[in-house]
Amino acid sequence: MTAGSEHDRLALLASVNEVTDGRVLLGETVARLLEFVVPAFADVATLDTISPRGELTRIGSRVQGPGREELERGLLHRRPVASAPVGLPRALSSGQGQLIERMAEEHLRAIAADEADYELLRALELRSMVDVPLLARGRIVGALACGVGPSGREYGPEDLRFAEVLSARLALALDNAGLSAAVSGLEQRLEATLTNLAEAVLVRDPAGPLVFANQAAAGLLGLDSVEDVVAASAEQLMELFNVFDERGRKLSLEELPSARAARGMPAQPLLVRNVIRSTGEERWLLHKATPVLDAEGALSMVVSVIEDLTEVKRAELAQRLLAEAGQALSSSLDYEQTLQQVAELTVPGLADWCAVAMRGDERLELVAAAHVDPKQAELGRAVGRDIAAYLGERAATAAVIAHRRARVIAELDDALLSRAGLRGELLKRVNELGLGSLILMPLAAPGQAAIGVLVLAMAQSGRRFDQSDVRLVRELGHRVAIAVENARLYSERSQIATTLQRSLLPPELPDIPGFRLAGSYHAAGEHNDVGGDFYDAFEVPGGWMVVVGDVAGRGAEAAALTSLSRYTLRTAGRLLGDPLAAFQELNAALRERESLSLVSVCCVLLRSEEGDGARADVILAGHPPAFHVRGGTPTPVGVFAPFLGAYELGGWQAMSTELAVADQLVLYTDGVIDTVGEQERFGEERLVATLAEGGEEASAANTVARIERAVKRFALGPQVDDMAIIVVERTGRG
Amino acid sequence: MTPSSQLSLEVRREGDAAVVVARGDIDLSTLTQASAALDEARLGAGSLIVDLREVGFMDTSGLRLVIEEQRRAAEGGYRFAVIRGAARVQRLFEIAGLAGDHDLFIEPPADRGGAA
Repeated sequence: MTAGSEHDRLALLASVNEVTDGRVLLGETVARLLEFVVPAFADVATLDTISPRGELTRIGSRVQGPGREELERGLLHRRPVASAPVGLPRALSSGQGQLIERMAEEHLRAIAADEADYELLRALELRSMVDVPLLARGRIVGALACGVGPSGREYGPEDLRFAEVLSARLALALDNAGLSAAVSGLEQRLEATLTNLAEAVLVRDPAGPLVFANQAAAGLLGLDSVEDVVAASAEQLMELFNVFDERGRKLSLEELPSARAARGMPAQPLLVRNVIRSTGEERWLLHKATPVLDAEGALSMVVSVIEDLTEVKRAELAQRLLAEAGQALSSSLDYEQTLQQVAELTVPGLADWCAVAMRGDERLELVAAAHVDPKQAELGRAVGRDIAAYLGERAATAAVIAHRRARVIAELDDALLSRAGLRGELLKRVNELGLGSLILMPLAAPGQAAIGVLVLAMAQSGRRFDQSDVRLVRELGHRVAIAVENARLYSERSQIATTLQRSLLPPELPDIPGFRLAGSYHAAGEHNDVGGDFYDAFEVPGGWMVVVGDVAGRGAEAAALTSLSRYTLRTAGRLLGDPLAAFQELNAALRERESLSLVSVCCVLLRSEEGDGARADVILAGHPPAFHVRGGTPTPVGVFAPFLGAYELGGWQAMSTELAVADQLVLYTDGVIDTVGEQERFGEERLVATLAEGGEEASAANTVARIERAVKRFALGPQVDDMAIIVVERTGRG
Repeated sequence: MTPSSQLSLEVRREGDAAVVVARGDIDLSTLTQASAALDEARLGAGSLIVDLREVGFMDTSGLRLVIEEQRRAAEGGYRFAVIRGAARVQRLFEIAGLAGDHDLFIEPPADRGGAA
């Protein structure tokens, strides 16, 4: 006995076709398909899909008769046992429909996963079952299981064949439903994506009108709604803005990527500064446009994507401005020249016009001005002078000077100008320059009085300053003020330092008969710190004294000690002719000082002897040894003894060495051996090695140069200590 | 100043003795730090010991501290001593004519290891 008449079956197949034609969602399709199957062909039916990896997903179940809902739920959550030798698992594993004409206890047991599952299956009261795979495009995409029992029907081989025909239709229906679901989903997703995209998207017909714009486009263009955007022509939209390139040049519609793309021209992304005319609000926008061609290759639409880079670009501009200003401010001590550079840096990125006025004795003086348009530079300077004079006259009352308070004017208008008492030439010039939005920022280091005013204004760009601009200008004002103050202090201190240093060092080494002297001196730091190292060479009774010394510490205190040391040694040496006596003099002088004053000295007394030879007496006080270099072999000379100034009695001793012609005596300060390298300090060993490299041919001058080179090569980072080197070479009888 | 100059200082109390253990470089850039540690250690100490065994580099500014402390100890009636450092550090004492000063140097206590 078969289930249902021939007519019913044809009707069923037709219905299945109907379902596949519609664009319906997958879940709906399944429900409707099962409605056709049950009760027309079965009392119970389930549908499963199978993933390419073989995972079964039950997508629908239908039961007719009492307890239907509970049974359907149970079946929907049922997972067929993959290893079952009969039924659905077998149909899937073999790819062949399975027929169980007469369900028996053993069949149920084989299919059931557990006791509960067994009870569920038993409750269905099945007599026959067919299980068929769903094949679509040569691949098993699912399975249909049908059962009869309560209705009194039974399945036979004919029913299995029908089930196979039905399954082919079902597979097609499901496949189509799945695909169409994916397609409609894609469109929906695309629209949802475009609508919610942070970037503005505009789609334009080549004929002109906009066919699509998203919410971001409306926001970015400053319009109320998407409809307003779509309704406007390109020209109308362009009317709303002033558009500039990065250099401040005004752009026309024709130059924008979308217009170029619409003409079939290559369209590179273009970064523009968009100023909304009505509000002066500024945005940095990255325009990108892509032409979309139809199947024939004709232009069908232009898709423009506009990205809002305002935050990024402003942060970048601010950072760059501050960095470049910092560089300019630290590059020179001539602050008028520096301020001119800073003023130029602010246009056009931050403003259209910039002026810097500094406070003189009684008034403000313009020291720098810059204008975005070189043709208006002169006018810009004139207005700068006017404003400086204007503020200068009111310096006592102008908040920007007296109270260091920034003044931000959103838009200069006639009322404001007349209230400020501007008239005559000044008013004319201000109008001529077309100044709009204005910032007056005091130049003041935190906690210090204002030393001037930084004036920034917008003109032709029509922009308006906002809070982030004000923050940036305030920061710039701080930096300028600090730099100018530093420059003033620096030039004063530098002058003192240079004067002092000049007094500490001999202008040049003297000519000593029978010897050649070469030396070098490098002070740590740039100009300001007077070095703690000193050297000197002077004639004493019976010979010459050469001194290299180092004063512990830096700055003014060290400078005073250096001066004391150098002149005491020179005076005592000249008067007494004996280095040891000179040492005792200096030691006593240093001990008289209130704070511990330590000086290290290497002193050499040079005396020519009979013939070409000479004698050198080397006396050390807290100083590393001198080196006697003969034929490329360095030998340390000197007896170690305490610093001058450390103890009452020093126990300094002279050590004598004979200098033959071409012999050298190398004196240096610890700046040489303490030079910091990557791993360690330069050290005495490297100095010895450097001296040995010179061989027999070395002259005093090239020994100095060689040491300097070796130290420079070795050094890591800036020099931190002073460095003095003196080389004495014996040339013969003088 | 010097990229490599780093100094860590630890003050230990052992009875009425204060031991300043220095690790790293003592030079112009770490001088203030070292000086502050000595000021702290000196308070209430009957003897002040500076342990230089872990010092990698020292320049004359470090020696200045030592000589200053010697002077202060002589005036203030406390004992001041130094535990010798590595050869390079000791070389500095040698150059300053202090290597043979038996009152200045003290042997490290046996119970404290080198890297304690």
